[in-house]
Amino acid sequence: MKLGRSLAVGVLSLIACVRPTEERAERDLEIGRASASGLAVRVSGGLAAVRGLSADRLTLWSSAPGWDLELTSDEPRALTVELQNVMRSAELVVLEPAGVSITPLGGDIVTQKRYGVALQAGVTRLRLAAPGAEIDGPFTFALMSDVQEAIGAVQDLFQRMNQEPNVEFLLGCGDLTEQGSVEELERYQRELRSLELPYYTTLGNHELGANPPLYQDYFGRASFHFRHRGVAFTLLDSASATLDPLVDGWVDEWLTAARDSVHVVGMHIPPLDPVGVRNGAFASRSEAASLLARFAASHVDLTVYGHIHSYYSFDNAGIPALISGGGGALPERFDAVGRHFMVLDVDARRGVTGKRIVRVDTPY
Amino acid sequence: VRGLRVSLSLLLVVLVAPGRSVGAVPTVGTPKEPASSSSAPDEPAPPTTGERALAAGAVVVPGALVHGAGHFVTGESKTARRLLLAEGVGLGMILGGGSVLALTGASRYLAGPAAGLAVGGFGLFLGSFAADAYGVLSPDADAAGRRRRTAAGAESELGYLALSGPHVDEPGYVLQRVSLRAGSFRVTPSALFSTRGTSARYRVEGAYRFLGATPSASGHGTSDHLDVVVGAFHHREPADYVARSSMELQLDTRYDLGHVGPTLRGAFFDFSIGYAAAHIDYDVNGVAVPGDFDSALLGRFGFGAILRGAAYRGSEASLYYDHRHDDLVGGFVMRGLGSGAAGRFGFDARWYFTPNVGVSLHGEVGSAWLGGASLLFREEGPAASTMRGTR
Repeated sequence: MKLGRSLAVGVLSLIACVRPTEERAERDLEIGRASASGLAVRVSGGLAAVRGLSADRLTLWSSAPGWDLELTSDEPRALTVELQNVMRSAELVVLEPAGVSITPLGGDIVTQKRYGVALQAGVTRLRLAAPGAEIDGPFTFALMSDVQEAIGAVQDLFQRMNQEPNVEFLLGCGDLTEQGSVEELERYQRELRSLELPYYTTLGNHELGANPPLYQDYFGRASFHFRHRGVAFTLLDSASATLDPLVDGWVDEWLTAARDSVHVVGMHIPPLDPVGVRNGAFASRSEAASLLARFAASHVDLTVYGHIHSYYSFDNAGIPALISGGGGALPERFDAVGRHFMVLDVDARRGVTGKRIVRVDTPY
Repeated sequence: VRGLRVSLSLLLVVLVAPGRSVGAVPTVGTPKEPASSSSAPDEPAPPTTGERALAAGAVVVPGALVHGAGHFVTGESKTARRLLLAEGVGLGMILGGGSVLALTGASRYLAGPAAGLAVGGFGLFLGSFAADAYGVLSPDADAAGRRRRTAAGAESELGYLALSGPHVDEPGYVLQRVSLRAGSFRVTPSALFSTRGTSARYRVEGAYRFLGATPSASGHGTSDHLDVVVGAFHHREPADYVARSSMELQLDTRYDLGHVGPTLRGAFFDFSIGYAAAHIDYDVNGVAVPGDFDSALLGRFGFGAILRGAAYRGSEASLYYDHRHDDLVGGFVMRGLGSGAAGRFGFDARWYFTPNVGVSLHGEVGSAWLGGASLLFREEGPAASTMRGTR
């Protein structure tokens, strides 16, 4: 008996890690930073992943509508900057120095833009922004999560989204893939080429099948925060059914920064599952409640989640909550929902002003 | 050569299950096991050290897949077949529960029962493996199995629990618990107070024992029990602005593994299943926050053994899995896809070094680590007075 107990405790010691998110949280700090061939890149807030960097070419995958880009070059050079996953109306402009020239070179698809930048030696600061993005006002975004094994049918959703007028971007709450492999992540980005909206997303537990997880190399930070037209968005990495303590610290900063703004918070695994016995929620109910209390104290206006392959509208800690896992992954049966995405209207002065579900096929 | 022969024939033996020993050397045609564990068996000589070592290896290979393999090697083929059957039933329950979850996408209507079925299946699967190991490695199962069982009329516990984890705000708790029994009824109030004094958890349980030992009845020589338990707790964490109150109903059982075979005397399998309805209150300064309703599937299984030697009756140790996510330690987190869905794992040991005084040790891992120790004091009931002088 003693031997058995010792063995069991030993095995548990090896496999148990009460902080499985540490590696991803620390990786977040590296996103948007790179250097090569005498050129250093830094994206504010880590809001774009560096997908390629050479002496004359920089490729970035954007995670947000706007951000600042700092380039430090050890010599004057002509640099082609390719921006992927950006809003149709977004533009890259020079902040400083004034003498830097920037030339639009077009793009292959509506969410891609290329620019020729004549860099001087030293630091150059550029900004990606959509016209009017810094002015408070109403706008519309879509919400979709949990595609996983249904990647082959995701075009149904994208084509339907393309027909939606006024939607400015698609927000995602994870589970883009089944395992998070290189092939799956690249496939997803290829499929996104037909979507005429940028896709700002965090990861889900199904991106954790690769070791180490590769998601951040392709889609950028797992936890991040951005603003658009005065509305704050915070996406958090809850893919391991917990938040990393490092992320917890960022949450405090972001909640404080957005305390007086309309604030939408999204993550993959919800703190609480509306069907509690199912346990599609945080590993610790105590951690879940504590997080929701902080959201409530900071006047978060809307929480959005994935993970559960259906549609739920409920309140948590008095905050409206949506679970929209209609991307096509193994659907919850008997719920009369089926594949879907959400369209949400927000206004920096009035909060969340509208929501509707767009069904793409017959519910189960 | 004999060991090799045993190893090579093991899988065949499992499959054809001829009902005769292969590792030991009983006379052919002579049953090695009694018809029932409670009868007085004509038991053969125990396995030699070498046979026991070989059987211990068989517990792992191929025993990890074919539960009961260790008992096949020691010639306890009836016990082995029963363990194999338990494994099969467990796998069937896992498959059944898992299939429902997979095919219905964890439907809100079926997820609870399906998860409960799967938890029970995991219990049988792991329990049959652990029982095989116990039966092979325990040299004095019979001595442990012959210990008398009773239930203390009153038992109190005072201890300390240490917590460690990334989201642990309160690293230490004082544990106080009293358990009072009258006939088949039990009431157990308990409390946990954080040593910093900001967090507390109060719990009360009431139970009725339909089957098993009570202070006035020794439980027919087995550790079987069947209880219906009604519980409630209130857990407040002011530092996190939250409190959780829960009402629970569960069925709590213990099965004496001596029923399965003589080598398993002194071992037991615990299983409980139930439902909890909870309410979360938020106490955020300056903000009126509506509370949330929550529910939880309660499921727990464990494998344990009665302690022998200098330990007095009621001394035992167990390894367990607990599916609840709302205790000091939450569900099991890990790298990879499945983090958070499972509950926590733990061990619990209690050792009475006098008839009335003992100690207990606790350990858990889930979303945090927990370790603790307690002092126990008990007053036994009338049934124990007839057992004075026995351990």
